Amino acid sequence: MSDRIPAAIIEDLHVSYRAYEDPKRNLRGFTMKRHEGLRQTRVHAVRGVSLTIYEGETLGIIGANGSGKSTLMVAMTGLMPIDSGSLRVRSRPRLLSVNAALRPAVSGRRNIIIGGLALGIALAEVTERMDEIIDFVNIGEAIDRPMRTYSSGQRSRLGFAIATMSPPDILLVDEALVVGDEEFKARSQEKIDEIVKGAGAVVIISHSLPDIRENTDRAIWMHHGEIAAEGDPNEVVDAYVAMVHEDREERARRDHENGSAPE
Amino acid sequence: MLIDDHSEADLVTLGHVPAMRDYLADLWGRREFAVVVPFNDVRVQNMNTKLGPLWHVINPIMQIAVYWIIFGVVLDVSRGMDNYLGFLIVGVLLFTLSSRVLLDSVRAMERDEGLIRSVQFPRALLPISAVIEQTMAFVPAAGVLLVALLLTGEVPDVSWLAFPFILFIQFLINIGLGLVGARAGFAVRDLSQIISHVIRMLFYFSGVIFEVSRYVEDPALLKFFALNPFYDILVVARWSLVNGELLVWPVLGFFAYATILPAVGMRFFVKAEHRYGG
Ligand SMILES: Nc1ncnc2c1ncn2[C@@H]1O[C@H](COP(=O)(O)OP(=O)(O)OP(=O)(O)O)[C@@H](O)[C@H]1O
Ligand SMILES: [Mg+2]
Repeated sequence: MSDRIPAAIIEDLHVSYRAYEDPKRNLRGFTMKRHEGLRQTRVHAVRGVSLTIYEGETLGIIGANGSGKSTLMVAMTGLMPIDSGSLRVRSRPRLLSVNAALRPAVSGRRNIIIGGLALGIALAEVTERMDEIIDFVNIGEAIDRPMRTYSSGQRSRLGFAIATMSPPDILLVDEALVVGDEEFKARSQEKIDEIVKGAGAVVIISHSLPDIRENTDRAIWMHHGEIAAEGDPNEVVDAYVAMVHEDREERARRDHENGSAPE
Repeated sequence: MLIDDHSEADLVTLGHVPAMRDYLADLWGRREFAVVVPFNDVRVQNMNTKLGPLWHVINPIMQIAVYWIIFGVVLDVSRGMDNYLGFLIVGVLLFTLSSRVLLDSVRAMERDEGLIRSVQFPRALLPISAVIEQTMAFVPAAGVLLVALLLTGEVPDVSWLAFPFILFIQFLINIGLGLVGARAGFAVRDLSQIISHVIRMLFYFSGVIFEVSRYVEDPALLKFFALNPFYDILVVARWSLVNGELLVWPVLGFFAYATILPAVGMRFFVKAEHRYGG
């Protein structure tokens, strides 16, 4: 394994959000000023994650809702201040998340130009590759309509096409592909394979466990902001599924006991 | 597990302020964006109106007309100046250019939140593009300006040749204002509300409608006025176009702001580079 080259090294990363907690309001609550009665709290979303991502690998991230997966990804783009730990990358990872519209008011075609130029691709090249990109996006006439009118699948197709116009060192995909249909899943998988072959790394968050089993080389399971398991995707997914089952059984047993046992 | 030291060495830590040299090189690599995108934004601006792009010409004409009626005819603040209309035209149009830059830039980061979240690029590209957009939209207004000056009876002389150069210096000041405005507006959202009132204040402190030196006798106080870059721009532009008096302090201010503001603005903007979009 000594020949694997790291694309990103994360060490003991902690990330938290500052948030106002809004306690249950009584009648008096409605007459209070806006910040009175609001408690400021910290949501400790990522709690000591250490992880190395290697060139040429696809890494899957699974875990319950709210376990800190998206937070970890956003932190990796450097767009969020981190509390402690360190985060070193080959180049700033490109994040693809569901619902990201570049410029909602302009057409898909204009968005391709704007996105391409922002990525530093020459206008001549963007124009030259326009047909190929539009073919990849494959949303018909919608390409000339404002992006805000797009369905979530159409938006994700366009977003994916733009983010991969120049091959990124590290591509982070936060559930952006789940809204795509079968045809697009196949196309985007081809693109991902291409990036991985070109020594890029791709990190995918997904709640679709079969996808993680099939399409990733390695997986991690996030649980309450920590990595609960790391390794072969099949093993990690199995461990996660087993925990979910156990949890449900435990819950059912508790409910049953509570329900049948009189005070 | 063994990791090759060499490969680990070229990983970079995120969240740090990027080195200015690299940042500027990165920006320069995106120069096409700063031309193509603003140009198109200007082009489509009035597409949904009947007169379309003609508005870029009609707007400055109407603006001149409104100010002329209010300050030239109704209030008559000319105090017997030779060519008050010419004086007013230069003031109103150039003041509008820089104030639009301020107004636009405080909203620039919010406007392109989607782009920031979708693609990686040096964020200064956004305020710079906003300034370039305003500059492009000013080209028709500059045409109106020159034609209108001729109509007021102004005779072009050698000093008119300095006008494009003066516009360029104003552009540099605008870049600085744009960078500062963009970060400030991002940090304090309320600024987009406050800024229009600030601009209204600036309007009166910049001598758009009256000649400051005719009202302010005290030379120390005049120096104080020169601290306002908007006033400096108008003094120099009026010297070039309508034989305005060339005052020392505003001229110094004009060049000082053009060199200091873009550099300081860039540093100030880049300090928050990794926070934009959050
Ligand atoms: N802006 C925010 N302010 C405060 N708390 C937040 C914010 N965003 C997320 N959180 C909290 O941080 C924790 C982790 O959220 P995160 O979005 O990373 O979860 P996730 O694993 O991506 O979940 P999902 O599977 O639902 O996408 C959650 O408890 C969430 O409530
Ligand atoms: Mg998430």
